[in-house]
Amino acid sequence: MIRNLVLAALLLTLSGPAALAADKPELTIYTYDSFAADWGPGPQLKAAFEAKCGCTVNFVATDSSIGALRRVQLEGKSTSADIIVGLDTSVTGQARATGLFAESGVDTSGLNLPIAWDDKEFVPFDWGYFAFIYNTTKLPEPPTSFEALNAAKDLKILIEDPRADTPGLGLVLWIKAAYGDKAAGVWKAMWPHVVTMAPDWSAAYSLFLKGEADMVLSYTTSPAYHIVADNDLNYAAAPFEEGHYMQVEVAGVLKSSPNKELAQQFLTWLVTPEAQTIIPDTNWMYPVVDLPETPAGFEDLIVPDTPLLLPDDEVTAKADEWINEALDAQH
Amino acid sequence: MLSRSAVQRLVPGGLVAAGGGTLLVTLLVLIAVSAAGGDSGRMPDIARILYVSSIQAGLSTIFSLIFGVAIAWAFNRLSFPGRNLSVGFLSAALVTPGLVVAFGLISVWGRAGWVNTLLAPFGLAVPPVFGLFGIVYAHIILDATFAAALLLPRLDGLAATRLRLGRSLNLTPWLRFRTLDWPALRPALPGLAAIIFLLSFTSFPIVLTLGGGPANQTLEVAIYAAVRLDFDLGAAVRLALVQLAISAVLIIPATALSLVPPAGGGTRALPWPEPRGVARLAGLILIAAGLFLGLPLVAVIVGGTGFGEVLGQQSFWNATATSLIVGIGAALAALVAGLAVASARSAARNPIAGFALSAPAYVYLAMPSVTLSLGFFLGAHRLGLNTGTIGFWVLIIAGALLALPYAVSTLTPALTGIEGRYGRLATSLRLSPLQRWRLIAWPLIGREIGLVLAMGFCFSLGDLGVISLFGSENLSTLSSAMNRALGAYRTDDAAAISALMLILSIAVFVALPRIFERLSRAGT
Repeated sequence: MIRNLVLAALLLTLSGPAALAADKPELTIYTYDSFAADWGPGPQLKAAFEAKCGCTVNFVATDSSIGALRRVQLEGKSTSADIIVGLDTSVTGQARATGLFAESGVDTSGLNLPIAWDDKEFVPFDWGYFAFIYNTTKLPEPPTSFEALNAAKDLKILIEDPRADTPGLGLVLWIKAAYGDKAAGVWKAMWPHVVTMAPDWSAAYSLFLKGEADMVLSYTTSPAYHIVADNDLNYAAAPFEEGHYMQVEVAGVLKSSPNKELAQQFLTWLVTPEAQTIIPDTNWMYPVVDLPETPAGFEDLIVPDTPLLLPDDEVTAKADEWINEALDAQH
Repeated sequence: MLSRSAVQRLVPGGLVAAGGGTLLVTLLVLIAVSAAGGDSGRMPDIARILYVSSIQAGLSTIFSLIFGVAIAWAFNRLSFPGRNLSVGFLSAALVTPGLVVAFGLISVWGRAGWVNTLLAPFGLAVPPVFGLFGIVYAHIILDATFAAALLLPRLDGLAATRLRLGRSLNLTPWLRFRTLDWPALRPALPGLAAIIFLLSFTSFPIVLTLGGGPANQTLEVAIYAAVRLDFDLGAAVRLALVQLAISAVLIIPATALSLVPPAGGGTRALPWPEPRGVARLAGLILIAAGLFLGLPLVAVIVGGTGFGEVLGQQSFWNATATSLIVGIGAALAALVAGLAVASARSAARNPIAGFALSAPAYVYLAMPSVTLSLGFFLGAHRLGLNTGTIGFWVLIIAGALLALPYAVSTLTPALTGIEGRYGRLATSLRLSPLQRWRLIAWPLIGREIGLVLAMGFCFSLGDLGVISLFGSENLSTLSSAMNRALGAYRTDDAAAISALMLILSIAVFVALPRIFERLSRAGT
């Protein structure tokens, strides 16, 4: 029994990337785990790209996008990653500062984003807006702004910890972008409404689905999941007058990659309609190009009038200060 | 002058202790070295974090011990069908991932939970479980049950002669507790208190999920933020050192105090008729424990009953296979290392040697799993090892290290007790360590061995910290699969996986101690 287990353990260790055919070039892509999961975009993207590149695509999943970046930073120049997929605009500044990323060589001028995109290293592949999600049957009149939220009696919300999670950081940036110097005051008035500051998006969203709060900080695209996967039309994003902070997910090529050309081919392909069609109903974010058909579940989503996004160098420089400002406002 | 046999028992334990200590220092040094240059110099308000977490951990410890003693006492006084299953259920609580416990608690006591749904027609509602109360409550679920599971064998194992004497003296229920039970329980309490305090002090997902806001946090949260958000490895090492230093202050008294072991041999069959009120009180305590501590775990299992879809996923079965293999590996490693340390401690005569032997094992109670993972990652990278392929082994080693403190604290009292009773005899018969083990120890500690294996298995099953850097497409465990499902709206899948993990833990805690108790006694 034990010997069999040890053998199984050895097999498990030895199989994996090493066992693949040696003559094909390999493309190693670090990403976050739900991107690479069976139901995420990873497997479909892998199959579609492998069909045309004559290469092997390996997705290596870490627990979060920030985890993927940290792993590359720890590995430095000897990283086996050719590409990171899934960094978002709150960490691109930091990622750029590491000096580990090469120019992508991908023309992003034709992409359809609510804001102008001009970034030499990072290629956007999907995007969304942060928003508070609510259940329309339980909250018939959701607040229409942070001020309305803060003034609402007995309204409870769930947010994520900005020190541990990107949507949590997204809320800090959202309030900062909308209110500037008055951000601390908004936070101060908001804290009494906060049920808890969950360690990450998944915990917050699960608590929301269990009915612990009226609203949860998530994305404007979240209702699409409930429409498509559960045929549940009762979830909606509350449009806020201040505008909504954007999250753009990007991919970048590592300077240390021996397969830069192949990596660039992948990124170029990632923003074609063929690859983009896969994204919306697997990653629940907007595609970066116009697709011939609106993805299922995306027809009735709110479209904010005012997209907000702070420059990434400012985010990198000031994120700590803004996080502390938000957290200290609780006292 | 130490006997040859004592030396032979001291050496393996000494090696494990030295290895464990060296590894810990190496991991921290690796991180510190990599931090050179990337130091932001930012430090969170440590004094405040310490103040907040001390209050929280202090309350968690006091209540866990009170409830733990009460529950152990109640179980000892009652016999009923399903008693063993209930005890296994209790033990499994400790190793349940914090997030799962938090979710279970909310399923029962939350705004839309079972209790409020029941009360709603009457216009009543229980107050929210978030904040200090929620944190302490969740810790009690984990730790009171753990305390009860560790204390119960001490009561169940009271020497028959003492019980007979007590019975013939017509002791009242209170005097029976004070003169017979309490002296058996008390020696275990300081060590138990230290462990529970540390667990609560370093708690991470529970504190964040139920904490209600940034006012409630722990050093562990700050360490996580330093590594993940700021990538300030220097700060992470400094914070980890603060945590280790504080923990050391707690560990020293806990390990230096001589552990008085439970006497072997079950005496539960000995009848002691007591007033009916005693059985009623015991029943009441167990019902309350079931409602307040057991129900949230039942909610986890009930919440996961829609597991049909998960069972059809190949990735789920791969994760299950990995978790089982890693869990068994970690359990065996924890057992071997734990036996080495415990057996050396039983041979060590002076308290300083005893401390030196077990402190390195206990330190892993306070080692943040994110720094453990980071240290291993950097070490593997420096050695040029492929982090993708060694991840499997790191999971086993880390799982064993995290379970080691429990292995040592379970095995040491048992082996020390055996040494006290049979040590001289064994020495006079010139038994070799192997003979001592086979003839004397093994037949008496089967139950503890099963318990240690169960703990080792379940700890690695519930790990989320170590896998965070080493997980990959080819290496995923049940807990990382649960996290992955949670991260993609698939809450039903996550609920199903956590229910299956909990059921597996309970099964292991019920079965292993009994199996090994039978196995070990079969030879005598």
